[in-house]
Amino acid sequence: MSYSTANGPRLSQNDRSFGWLMTAPGLLALLLIVLFPLLFTVFTSAFDYTLLHRKYDTFVGFDNYLGAISDEYFSASLLVTVQFVVAVVILEFVIGFTVALMLNAVTRFKDVYYLILLLPLLINPVVVALIWRMFLHPELGIVNYLLSLVYIGPVNWLGDVRIAFWTVVLVDIWHQVSFMIILLLAGLSALPREPYEAARMEGASTIQAFIYVTLPLMRPVIAVTLLIRLIFAVKTFDLVFIMTRGGPGTSTDLISYYIYRSAFFGLNIGQASAISVLLLIIVLSLTAYLYRYMRSLT
Amino acid sequence: MAEIRLENVSKVYPSGVKAVEDVSLHIRDGEFMILLGPSGCGKSTTLRMIAGLESISSGEIHIQGNLANEIDPRDRNLAFVFQNYALYPHMTVAANLSFGLRLRHAPQEEISRRVAEAASMLGIGTLLDRKPSALSGGQRQRVALGRALVRDPVAFLLDEPLSNLDAKLRAGMRRELVKLHRTLGRTIVHVTHDQVEAMTMGERICIMNEGRIVQVGSPLDVYLNPANLFVAGFLASPPMNLLQARIEMNDSRPILRCGGLSLPIPSVYAADSIPRAGTPVVLGIRPEDIYDREIPGGISIEVKIVAVEALGPETVVVCEIPAVAEISAKVGRSFTVPNGSVQRFSFDPSQLHIFDARTTMAVRRQQACIQSGS
Repeated sequence: MSYSTANGPRLSQNDRSFGWLMTAPGLLALLLIVLFPLLFTVFTSAFDYTLLHRKYDTFVGFDNYLGAISDEYFSASLLVTVQFVVAVVILEFVIGFTVALMLNAVTRFKDVYYLILLLPLLINPVVVALIWRMFLHPELGIVNYLLSLVYIGPVNWLGDVRIAFWTVVLVDIWHQVSFMIILLLAGLSALPREPYEAARMEGASTIQAFIYVTLPLMRPVIAVTLLIRLIFAVKTFDLVFIMTRGGPGTSTDLISYYIYRSAFFGLNIGQASAISVLLLIIVLSLTAYLYRYMRSLT
Repeated sequence: MAEIRLENVSKVYPSGVKAVEDVSLHIRDGEFMILLGPSGCGKSTTLRMIAGLESISSGEIHIQGNLANEIDPRDRNLAFVFQNYALYPHMTVAANLSFGLRLRHAPQEEISRRVAEAASMLGIGTLLDRKPSALSGGQRQRVALGRALVRDPVAFLLDEPLSNLDAKLRAGMRRELVKLHRTLGRTIVHVTHDQVEAMTMGERICIMNEGRIVQVGSPLDVYLNPANLFVAGFLASPPMNLLQARIEMNDSRPILRCGGLSLPIPSVYAADSIPRAGTPVVLGIRPEDIYDREIPGGISIEVKIVAVEALGPETVVVCEIPAVAEISAKVGRSFTVPNGSVQRFSFDPSQLHIFDARTTMAVRRQQACIQSGS
């Protein structure tokens, strides 16, 4: 065996084979459960494969992709997804940062607040959607009942084309805002106190100190938090599946749900696979950007 | 008039910990005041209370004759230099220096002029475009000082600003700070746990322990006349030798009994201030007041050498007075004797300090020590 410390450990051929042997089961499992479905999706997306015609005999190349892109329902779904992602990320960030700043100043019962905030995040999205579907029921829901006490409503939360989108956004905020709060709070509490105090000594007001010192120092944390939340928001499925089924109309037809619809209602597995691959490329490039950004910080 | 007056100032944290207790201190206009003490003695908290970064539990702080208790830190017009510099990491050196002025909407030409002045005073003119992460510790320290300088505050509060520098840089910065103080003539309150800094820089030293002020005086005064056992044991390195002793009567004259030694009470002590016979006392003698030879009027003692630490310019000898205690002595660099050998050392009895063992306070002298023996 030979080890070189100057250029990192250099393993002998024997050790290297042993290393491969030990990692092989893990790699194989990864290959089977991650890489195979992925490649199979890419493969399927190149065929005219539907649930009525389950044969890989009609190779269509990029036709499924072109078909999807030229489909107006796809563009509508893409637009809804972009609106949804922008809305939830911005609103959750604003609310999350405000709450994180307030919590950062709290000294007593911090753990209790943490626990309360964490609760929604711990609930399965399907359960969240079910709970809110009940709460928001036009006749039987508690929300409309409470509103009726102050002579508001009844509101058709999930059935009105103009309201359903924002209802889903609000439920997503309820569910996911704690994620922002907790990440941003961790960032805030890790900030050095001295630059802030130095700014105060130099004559900065609380707001000036926040704008000129806290915000710039928080930039990396903010960027990472936004990107992570963005990636997850793009993939939102459960809320829409349970609460609105993409409707009314296509007002909440997020891209994940659109894929599901193409595959299991439209029965067009080939096209659904093509859109999945497109979604994967979008998420992958966001992830790559996040990874590069995080690397650039160190 | 940038005098700072603290009256019975206390700081009690919500947990009940008393960080500062009943501190009263008058820092004169233009004075270089050192707050000195071991870590956790409340000196930084005191400084932060002057700055307004820490609230006051009770007492009053007056800055320039005005009660400052409720004044926001930004309105006190004080500059604070932090131990870890607290530079704004996202700003260049120039932006760091000008931040305070920009907040006050100072005219651009005035900002440029003052930044250039401060930068040239501290020799950081070539670093203005750099970010703090591209600076060395010493350079960061200068930028932090520069940031305080450009604002032209009424007083500077320095919280252990030199403690993160290496020994050589620290010595240089010490001299520069003193020079700066002379040039600017501004009040400086400097917190440190480093006695060398305290002795070399301060016009007066305020020694703190366990949240209280123990002694305030000029560096030489606190060195020569420590007010109690804490100051005696804290100041100088190695610190004063402290020996358990007892006042006894010998032919109706009080003497000091220290183990097998009996020593006359030095004449600098007034007869009426000597504790009653039987009182336990602590004798203090500085290592530099012990000689490896006989001196005129000195008291000679026999010691057994335990260790010889040659420091270069001087030699510290750890030796044992048989049946009394171990003491250290500072002698010339030429001193070389084998460990275990028995030598005759001597000391000047007028340099002997007597402390009441129960109150730990120094016994009053007829006249304070003003110059150490030759």
